[in-house]
Amino acid sequence: MSGFAFDPCDKCEQMMQPYMDRVLTDAEIQEAEEHLAGCEYCRKRYRFEEEFRTFVRQAVSEPMPPELKERLRSLRTPL
Amino acid sequence: MSDASESSARQLATDARDRVRFEEEALDLSDQVYGVARRLVGSREEAEDLVQETYARAFRSWRSFQPGTNLRAWLFRILTNLNIDRGRKVQRTPDLQPLEESDYFLYNKLEESGTDGAPPDERRVVERLSQNDAVTALADLPHDFRDVVLLVDLADFTYSDAAQILDIPIGTVMSRLHRGRRMLKGALATSAADES
Repeated sequence: MSGFAFDPCDKCEQMMQPYMDRVLTDAEIQEAEEHLAGCEYCRKRYRFEEEFRTFVRQAVSEPMPPELKERLRSLRTPL
Repeated sequence: MSDASESSARQLATDARDRVRFEEEALDLSDQVYGVARRLVGSREEAEDLVQETYARAFRSWRSFQPGTNLRAWLFRILTNLNIDRGRKVQRTPDLQPLEESDYFLYNKLEESGTDGAPPDERRVVERLSQNDAVTALADLPHDFRDVVLLVDLADFTYSDAAQILDIPIGTVMSRLHRGRRMLKGALATSAADES
């Protein structure tokens, strides 16, 4: 970290993806959560990120056609 | 029966049992394999072909799977390799557009675009995005970035599993993921602005 003015919201923003991906250390998680507890601005954006990830996952998901499942079963080695 | 033929009969029975178990476990993962395949290629038909090829190859080479290791990652490795073999052109590194600097910018854009003036609930803000735009934005990502985004964000693989599946360093997974997600958000911010 440089010695210049340090904005805790910037830091929190940088931690958002790794936080959601669960790759932060315990100390970093604590740091993010302490900031979030007192910062409505970042809290909203973290909540949005969660909603956004769920949205994307649902938006791009398409169930497998049942006929395909049957075709895959037929590829098994006959006993 | 001689001892030798008895032992080879036992071996055959064990093999058959292992193979059946392997095939059933692989089939249990087929919805997830299809889900990613569908977004790796442009059409449902291509996705079906790709998944069939993946399972045909997996069943043929089941002996090369080490029991106790990650079957899901093993299947996805076949899937992504086949997708590349199917003639997906090796892409020239795309001319990378500058990324939005902030990871908060999509939210900020959507919040601004509200018409009623009242600050919206963040859970409602996401409703300003359209499903079709998400599908298009994902399809428009350069392959290398899309592969990583799909494996991590759709199939829930860890960075390290994604690195093994794609045979790239973990640092490359992280940078492609970072960039891919930003590009996706950038595209969605643009389409949301166009539609409002």
